[in-house]
Amino acid sequence: MDVSSFYIFLLLLILGYAIGSYLERRHYKSIQQREHETLHVPIITIGAKQAMPNAEEAQLFVGTVVISVDYFKRFSAALRNLVGGRITVYETLLDRGRREALLRMKIEAIEWGADKVMNVRIETATIGGRSGNNNSLGSIEVIAYGTGIK
Amino acid sequence: MKFIHKKIPEDINITKRHPLSNLAHLLGMVIIIGVIGFVLLGVTADLISRWISPEMEAKIGNSLLTMVSDNEIKDDKRIKYLTELIYSLPKKDEEIRLPLKLHLIESDVVNAFVIAGGHIFIHTALLKTVESENELAFVLAHELGHFQERHPINGLGRGIIFMLVANILNFGTHVNVPDILSLGSELYLMNYSRKQETAADLYALERIINRYGHGGHTMQFFKRLEKDEAEGNLVKVSEYFSTHPRSKERIERLMLEAEKQTWKMQGDATSVSNI
Repeated sequence: MDVSSFYIFLLLLILGYAIGSYLERRHYKSIQQREHETLHVPIITIGAKQAMPNAEEAQLFVGTVVISVDYFKRFSAALRNLVGGRITVYETLLDRGRREALLRMKIEAIEWGADKVMNVRIETATIGGRSGNNNSLGSIEVIAYGTGIK
Repeated sequence: MKFIHKKIPEDINITKRHPLSNLAHLLGMVIIIGVIGFVLLGVTADLISRWISPEMEAKIGNSLLTMVSDNEIKDDKRIKYLTELIYSLPKKDEEIRLPLKLHLIESDVVNAFVIAGGHIFIHTALLKTVESENELAFVLAHELGHFQERHPINGLGRGIIFMLVANILNFGTHVNVPDILSLGSELYLMNYSRKQETAADLYALERIINRYGHGGHTMQFFKRLEKDEAEGNLVKVSEYFSTHPRSKERIERLMLEAEKQTWKMQGDATSVSNI
C-alpha cells in the first residue's frame, strides 16, 4: 500500500465517521420523536389459542427501510472480525433499521385509521454487498409487517 | 388489561460505547497481535528456509532466472573477468555454498543483485561507473556476502509466508485490514533488510581487506554515487541503492568496524582490466 492510498483510506475513515455519526444522531432524534407521536397505537401479538380482538376491518401493513453501513463502521467491524466480540457499531445500525421499519408500518396503519397493529413480524436482509472478498459497502433491509385493525 | 402509554426506553438493543474508543481498543489489540505475529512468522520463515537444501535452492534459482534475465550478454570476456574476480574474494578455508553464476545485463541503470541459487547479476552501467577494481570487488563481495548468509532464499521464504497470511486475512474479512497489515509488514521487512545489508557490507569489507591488504578505494564508489545523487546528475541510480541504507551511514559504520579491527583503509587502487 503506497502513501497516497493510505491518505485516501484515512480520509474515507474520517468522512465516514463524521457524516455517519451526524446522520445517525439525526436519525435517532427523528425516530424518538415519531415513536412518541405514535405511542397511542399499540403493537400487540396474539397467540394461537387466544381470542382475536373484535374488529370491523383488518389490513396488512408493511414498512421497509434500507440502511447502508458507512466506511468507519465497516472498518471497525472488519477489525472486530479479527478478534471477535460484539460489533457495537452494527448494533446501532440494526436498531435504527428495526425501529424505522416499525414506524413506517405504524404510520401507514394510523393514516388508515387503525387503533391496533397485531402480530407484527420483523425480517432483515443484506443487500448490495456480495458475500466473499470484495470492497463494496453492504446495506441492510429491514421489513416489518403486521395487521392493522379498526 | 388497559394499555398504558409508556416511553420506550433507549439503549436496550445497543451497547453504550463510543465508536472512537471502540476503534482505538480494536486497533490497539490488532496491532499488538500483528506485531507478535510478524515476528513469529519471520522466525518461522527463517526456520523453513534453513531446511532448503543447496540442490533445492539451485532449482529455485533456475526457475527464478527465467523471470529476470532480459538483455543478458553472453560469451563476453568481461564475464570471465568478473567470475575470476569474485572467486578470488572468499577466504581460503571458506566454502561457497553453490557454484556461482555471473550474469552480465545490458542496462544503463547502475545495479547489482543476487538471487537464490548463486546467480549474481551485474549491470553494464555499474562497470562503466566504477573507477578501480577495488570498488568493483567491494560490490561483488557485498553480493557474495548476501548469498553466503542465505539472504536471497530467506527473503523468498519471508515473502511467500507474508503473502500467504495476507491472502488468508483477505478472505476472512472483506476490508482494508490487510492493507494496514501490509504496511506494517513492509516497515518490518525494511528493518530486516537493513540488517542484511549491514551484514553483507561487513562481509565484503573483510574479504576486500583479505584480498587487497587494505580497504582503500572502496568507499569512493558510494561517496561518488551519493554526491551525484544529491546533485541530480545520476538520475538512474536505481532501486539497488534505494533499498540500501544511506551511503553516509554505510561508510561510517564500515569505517568504525575497520578502526575496531585495525584494518588499513588506505592503499593504491588496482585498475580494472579488460573493461
